[in-house]
Amino acid sequence: MMSAKRSAQIAIAGIVAAFPLMPTAVSAASVEENAQICAGCHGENGVPQAKTTPIIWGQNEGYLYLQLRDYKSGARKNEQMSSVVAGLEKADFKALASHFAGLKWPSMNFPSPPKDVTKVALTAIGSVGCTSCHLDQFQGDGTTARLAGQQPEYLFDTMTAFRDGSRANNPGMSDLMKAVQPADLKSIAEYLASLQVVGGGQ
Amino acid sequence: MVGMKSSHAYAAALTALLAFSVLPASAQEIEHHKNEKVKPPAPAPTVTQEMLTNAGSDAKQFLHTNLNYEQTRFYPGKQINASNVSKLRPAWIFQMDVRESLETSPIIVGNVMYVTTSFDHVYALNAKTGEEHWHYKHKMGPITTYCCGPNNRGVAVLGDKVYFATLDAKLVALDAKTGSLVWETEIADPELGYSETMAPTAVNGKILIGTNGGEYGIRGFFRAYDANNGKLVWNFDTIPENSVGVWETKDATGHDMHRDIAAEKAQLAKTGDPYKTLGGGVWQNAAVDLKLNRIYFVVGNPSPDLDGAPRPGDNLYTDSLVALDLNTGNYICHFQYIPHDVWDLDSVSPPILIDVKDKDGKTVPGVVHAGKTGYVYVNKRDDCSMIRFSEPMVAQENFWTLPTPEGARMLPGANGGVEWSPMAVNQRLNLAYAVNLHQPMTYQVQSSPYPDGKLWLGGAFKVIPGEEQFGNVSAVNYNTGKIKWKVTTPQPMMGGVLATAGDLVFTGEADGWFRAYNADSGKILWSFQAGAGVNAPPSAYAIDGKEYIVVGAGGNTQIDFKRGNNIIAFTLD
Ligand code: HEC
Ligand code: HEC
Repeated sequence: MMSAKRSAQIAIAGIVAAFPLMPTAVSAASVEENAQICAGCHGENGVPQAKTTPIIWGQNEGYLYLQLRDYKSGARKNEQMSSVVAGLEKADFKALASHFAGLKWPSMNFPSPPKDVTKVALTAIGSVGCTSCHLDQFQGDGTTARLAGQQPEYLFDTMTAFRDGSRANNPGMSDLMKAVQPADLKSIAEYLASLQVVGGGQ
Repeated sequence: MVGMKSSHAYAAALTALLAFSVLPASAQEIEHHKNEKVKPPAPAPTVTQEMLTNAGSDAKQFLHTNLNYEQTRFYPGKQINASNVSKLRPAWIFQMDVRESLETSPIIVGNVMYVTTSFDHVYALNAKTGEEHWHYKHKMGPITTYCCGPNNRGVAVLGDKVYFATLDAKLVALDAKTGSLVWETEIADPELGYSETMAPTAVNGKILIGTNGGEYGIRGFFRAYDANNGKLVWNFDTIPENSVGVWETKDATGHDMHRDIAAEKAQLAKTGDPYKTLGGGVWQNAAVDLKLNRIYFVVGNPSPDLDGAPRPGDNLYTDSLVALDLNTGNYICHFQYIPHDVWDLDSVSPPILIDVKDKDGKTVPGVVHAGKTGYVYVNKRDDCSMIRFSEPMVAQENFWTLPTPEGARMLPGANGGVEWSPMAVNQRLNLAYAVNLHQPMTYQVQSSPYPDGKLWLGGAFKVIPGEEQFGNVSAVNYNTGKIKWKVTTPQPMMGGVLATAGDLVFTGEADGWFRAYNADSGKILWSFQAGAGVNAPPSAYAIDGKEYIVVGAGGNTQIDFKRGNNIIAFTLD
């Protein structure tokens, strides 16, 4: 954990050196402080406390930023997260997104589901064309979430939430989830969780 | 791309940055810089306007995304021809760092080739040997939104610079010799759904470019920037403030689109003109008519794709051909192929400027475009009006069935017909060559309010598990609208076509095959297995009297074809 933190600091220092004219609204220290709050639920070492809390270490930067922005605006609703972001601003979101995107995604080694489950998942995925946005290995990019290796319980919950509209911050994903049979969601979640994480932070 | 190997270009850019900085570089960076083997600059000659204007008759170089300003993709060389193409062999294969969807059109200036990759890397290669001169990696901002893969379709060249545009909506100018950054301009805010995948066009000191974002509720545009400094010269909104039009109930081919005009009018009275979030991206290069001093391009789908309810009216100028004045960006004329589209069957393949026969058999300046509908449309250049449309190149089933909440099946599916893939023409044979998808889909509608720059499809389109999908290469006589020949391919087709004066047609397939066809008969004369989807448009050039055909084999994200990272140049033994 210590070493991960240190490398993140070096990375930030490197950016500042290369772009000396960039305004630094949020100091490195306050990002660290804010990040301490997150550790309470998202884990000291990137492994969340609860199965229904998402992994955010090594998640894509643009995606993390938009989620924090959306919790703040109310476009995405969650009691815990909305109180967390209440006191934070756009610059904090950017700094936190960059911080967590630079950390290493924890390797949880979720097991590969049985063949029939994988087949159900792959059929649904192929029909909607999930990889056209989440990319070949489900690593996502930019503002599209990494799904590979995410907690299966969380994936199931959030896909269900997209489907029933209780997660309303991306109607496009809601529409796509409505095109998936509810019975297939669990298979998809298990399949995605079992995928390997490529790269994702240092 | 966490690779440790930093490019020469990056090192050069860093040096330039540090020159303006009072901070000392960290020890790590200095060490890094020293370790770089300094490569000699790419020997790229200066690209003059004259060279760009005459590109169509230049068999040595390939200077535009679609070969010339008219976008004919007709290569004038005939060394490689129908009689000897069976002896075509790889001259070299270059492997790029990025193994993702590859849609680049190789550009060749002198002996230097420029290619781009997904996630916006640019390479300068020795076109004769395939060796790398330089490699530029765009420093991507955190916010990128793109519907159809992290693609880049290539560069434009002018003077001593190379121009390209990025997923985070920046226009970038590089030094053609060194690959170092000259300037960078933000085209639009990526947080609102703007992004760039198309190649720009360079003409008369201007860099022309549109925008993606039709899946994100943008207001689309087409623009000219100053090639010297990246300053905006003019802007044309592809969505006018009055986007309603004439309540046209039929598409350009006369098919009833089942619009509920009364409901649309009621919606208009309630919510007003939807122009601010109506989409209208531009996916491919404009064709340039230097005599008329005009440009012609096609505009993509309205937002949200499948839900017409929040966007009453014809949704001008979505799904349309548009002509502008090159100097001012002022509107000249337009023609809408599909008013009030709710299938995402929009206009994406780049238009071609050639002479065509009008209805009376008179030769007139024309514009030829292939739609996702699977039609080739032939229009007049002076007023944009349509002369004819071809026989459909793909089967039509339940055409136009409205999307339903449960999902309604229709063919063509939302990828086409003809996707972004450029056509090529052979004017001796009066043929336009197009690659098509046969991909039945269910179209499902779901209403949701504008989501502030997030994905906004208004539903979903799905391929139907178990239903057969395939593709075809079609040769269409643009003077009669008749299909001369059609070859069915096992996979849906996406990539693009090159025709040559050697009576050949080159195009690639999703399963790795790259083939040459007889231009007149469609007979397959040569095939090469590239190991990854050949889903990029081929280019051609000549060095030291030897002709080459070059193509990218990297597969495709949008329809999940096998990925790779190869640029392959072929020549005769
Ligand atoms: C009290 C527990 C708690 C704390 C503290 C907390 N989170 Fe969360 N976080 C959650 C839960 C639970 C979710 C899932 C909520 C949902 O489903 O919308 C979540 C979701 C997120 C997401 C969305 C991830 C995704 O994959 O969509 C991000 C980003 C996030 N949190 C970042 C943070 C950051 C940054 C902090 C610290 C500033 C933080 N969280 C603090 C509990 C917490
Ligand atoms: C057209 C692009 C697109 C397609 C296709 C797509 N997604 Fe997404 N998906 C996104 C975007 C963008 C997000 C981020 C949502 C946001 O902004 O909140 C996302 C988010 C998600 C999330 C939430 C991740 C998290 O950490 O909370 C899941 C799960 C997901 N997608 C699953 C899928 C599955 C399964 C499919 C196929 C059935 C699919 N997606 C198809 C674009 C897409």
